[in-house]
Amino acid sequence: MTNKKKPVAAARAKTITTAPAKRSTPVGDGADAQQQLVASRVRAGLFALFTLLSLAITNGSAGVEGKFAFWVDKIGGTDVSFSVPVVLLWVAVTAGFGAMAALQFVRGASFRWRLAIGLISPFLVFALLARLLDGTTANLTVFFTSTLLYTVPVGIGALAGIVSERSGILNISVEGKLLFGAMIGSIASSITGIAIAGPIAGAIFGALVSLFFAWLGIRYKVDQIIAGTVINIGALGVTTFAYLRILQPYSEFNRPIGITPIQIPFLSDIPVLGPILFSLSPFFYIAVGLVLFFTYMIYRTRWGLRLRAAGEQPNAAGTVGIDVVKLRYRAMLIAGLLAGFAGSYISLSGTGGFGINTSAGQGFIALAAVIFGAWNPVYAFGAALIFGMTSAATTLLSGLGVTIPPQILLSMPYIVTIIVVAGLIGRVRAPASAGRPYDQG
Amino acid sequence: MRLELQKITKQFPGVLANDRISISVDKGQVLGLLGENGAGKTTLMNILSGLYRPDSGKILIDGKERIFRDPAQAIDAGIGMVHQHFMLVPVFDVTESVVLGNEPTKGPLGSFDRATARAQVVELSKKHGLHVDPDAKIESLPVGVRQRVEILKALYRKSDILVLDEPSAVLTPQETEELFEIIRGLAKGGTSVIFITHKLNEVIAVADKITVLRRGAVAGETTPKKATAAKLAEMMVGREVQLTVSRSKSKVAEPILQVKGLNVLNDAGGLAVNSATFEVRSGEILAVAGVQGNGQTELVEALTGLRLVDSGTVVLEKKPLHAGSPREIAMAGVAHIPEDRNRDGMVKGMTIAENYILNTYHLPQYSKNGLLNRKAIAAATEQAVKDFDVRTPSINTDIASLSGGNQQKVIVAREFSRNVRLVIAAQPTRGLDVGSIEYIHRRIVEQRDAGAAVLIVSTELDEVLALGDRVAVMYEGRIVGILDAKEATRERVGLLMGGITK
Ligand SMILES: Nc1ncnc2c1ncn2[C@@H]1O[C@H](COP(=O)(O)OP(=O)(O)OP(=O)(O)O)[C@@H](O)[C@H]1O
Ligand SMILES: [Mg+2]
Repeated sequence: MTNKKKPVAAARAKTITTAPAKRSTPVGDGADAQQQLVASRVRAGLFALFTLLSLAITNGSAGVEGKFAFWVDKIGGTDVSFSVPVVLLWVAVTAGFGAMAALQFVRGASFRWRLAIGLISPFLVFALLARLLDGTTANLTVFFTSTLLYTVPVGIGALAGIVSERSGILNISVEGKLLFGAMIGSIASSITGIAIAGPIAGAIFGALVSLFFAWLGIRYKVDQIIAGTVINIGALGVTTFAYLRILQPYSEFNRPIGITPIQIPFLSDIPVLGPILFSLSPFFYIAVGLVLFFTYMIYRTRWGLRLRAAGEQPNAAGTVGIDVVKLRYRAMLIAGLLAGFAGSYISLSGTGGFGINTSAGQGFIALAAVIFGAWNPVYAFGAALIFGMTSAATTLLSGLGVTIPPQILLSMPYIVTIIVVAGLIGRVRAPASAGRPYDQG
Repeated sequence: MRLELQKITKQFPGVLANDRISISVDKGQVLGLLGENGAGKTTLMNILSGLYRPDSGKILIDGKERIFRDPAQAIDAGIGMVHQHFMLVPVFDVTESVVLGNEPTKGPLGSFDRATARAQVVELSKKHGLHVDPDAKIESLPVGVRQRVEILKALYRKSDILVLDEPSAVLTPQETEELFEIIRGLAKGGTSVIFITHKLNEVIAVADKITVLRRGAVAGETTPKKATAAKLAEMMVGREVQLTVSRSKSKVAEPILQVKGLNVLNDAGGLAVNSATFEVRSGEILAVAGVQGNGQTELVEALTGLRLVDSGTVVLEKKPLHAGSPREIAMAGVAHIPEDRNRDGMVKGMTIAENYILNTYHLPQYSKNGLLNRKAIAAATEQAVKDFDVRTPSINTDIASLSGGNQQKVIVAREFSRNVRLVIAAQPTRGLDVGSIEYIHRRIVEQRDAGAAVLIVSTELDEVLALGDRVAVMYEGRIVGILDAKEATRERVGLLMGGITK
């Protein structure tokens, strides 16, 4: 009742005088502002909690040296090493979280928390790594390259998820397509003896699986979550069976021509950076190219406009003459090509070809990246990078025989996703019609 | 262009939605299409726009038969449709929404040529006097402006025949007047217009010719000159309709709802209801008038527990309710007929019976130990369907497949099924036909006569004047005046609605 004295009085006066006759409440926005406020408080609280946690770690890190090395010219060549006190890293992380908590609290809903998390995560992972290493020397060139390489299947898989979900089809079958892509890629490459046949065959097979999925969802309106789960479970079963019955006894079918890293002329000669950024598997550069290409396509082209319309309000698209069904099939075709291609990377980049469940949940991490990246290819790729970093850290730690269970790091993507999906810390706005079958009547 | 629909028939499972309907409209003519809820108007227009295929019948344009397999073909033939439920993407901006489906592009990748699109939209809106900001997001626009975007969509596709399906149901009187100007301008320019509405005086004002549908068939044709509202109503419903409810003088008794100094915030955190103080007594109807968006929505949401009360008190028969949950409020004897029945009134995809017990399912007569008593629910719903004359094949029909009027009857039946002390009805007759309006109004007056307090919120001046024993007017979040029925003339209420208190 004393509203005139409240600080929001000015804002109120403004909303009331700007042509209230023409104002209406957009449907579905009820209590939204309140929810956002609560969410930003929760975020501020979480950040404060993290500040305290990292302060505790800072305390416990006194005297520990983080010892790191880089390869200067190429992997296995000359190296330089250096060391930093782990405390220093943690002081920085603590300060970062402290600043985030404060800014979040002051700025409320306008604070760009997603970006802040994106920025601090690499430091956090790095500091955790240093702390867990506990004095053992770690080679950062290996760490960073494996980060980038782990990002490939997750990043492209996320792209597949984005393209299909933007068209209105909830695509949880990325994992299954990765597995199929991995197996078919390995077989095709082994049989033909042509390196490039692997990714192509993987992509094509991924597309076929995707079209089957689309057919279930669009034609028969099978619940897309159920159809996706069926494909994921089916993929695991089929590929495991094929592996045990065919690929293992006749191992010539599982000896693919590996796709080896390329050296980008000149750039790969840059000391320290060259081996990290410019001597990677071609898959990585293709992934980056795909992300940029699809970002442009989704936001800047007619195809993208229609894709988004179909995913948000298929009726709005349908009534202006857009063939929503065809559009969704095409989007699923593209998503399948991408996911199958990403899958082939898994079996073709390492050694040993296809193995049981080689995708190991990366298709699910990709979906987490889709959500964390708010259905934007670049952000999702950023999320994939962070997730890739945690995987790289885990690998590194287990390679060095560090005793602290690395599962703590590995579970991070899932924990982050649960928090994001629960909408606790902020709203992610999925394409409004993703998962809902389109019915023209 | 001259459009002719000949003997169009369309059968839905269990419903003959269109039964050999023939209508025609000439170049530059405005055809008013009237009909009860569920008469088949929207179905007919969906056939015209290529969304549905007719079972039989012909579509002729300038005498030539055309077959539309999908909306794209209808659009190509010059048919523009503004659907009853807007077909817009909330996260798009105006430019994107208008050109979607016919986007200007450049370059090998089909890049969206935004600059050209925007220029075209600006030019089009200037040419037809349809003012919109080409860069505004759809979700931030009021319905009246969204409507203009829909019309722009049709004009952008160079429609010669423009169909407007109940365009005025959600518009303010000014917006409706603006719409009429647009329609007249278009007709003068040679566009044929089909205008669907439930508001009889609107067709009389804007149409050149009127066709009335009833139960899927043409019930008659007339012209505005020959027609009167009463005659049209009779043609629509098939019997005489009382266009204004008759009611005896109310026996006003003790206050039931007392609201003091109520402040409510809107979604943006602004003050939507500003120190509202009023009471509603047993046996009276307090009608709240006001142009849409002056805080009525928030007021009702706050009173029914759907929105937090910022400060102030709400007391129902000595019981404070301002911090109550929707269920507590409902159980205290408040019946709520929500403004947006699609969002807040029912669960589409659930049956009539399930919707009927939506807020009483937990009571012992309907469930025990967490198990629903199907028999009791069915019996109660059957009775309600009979009492409220809900036209439905069965109580197990999905409520989404009922016509708007029948959906509203289910909601009213549900809300009046409890012991009612206070009725809060927001826009209770929006989008309903005259027959249903008469029915709902009668039911509300019955509640009053039985001793309940009634609070009606309506943007329709006619409704407010017809029902209110007292009329409160809201303007910019404040109650700027409360008049007795005797003083509440059209002029005075109209002035107050514009914020002129003298
Ligand atoms: N897709 C559908 N499936 C089954 N029945 C339908 C469908 N669409 C409409 N109907 C039924 O067809 C009849 C005509 O509906 P229609 O929507 O054309 O009425 P209307 O005249 O536009 O009514 P209103 O004034 O309420 O908009 C109704 O009984 C309705 O329940
Ligand atoms: Mg209709």
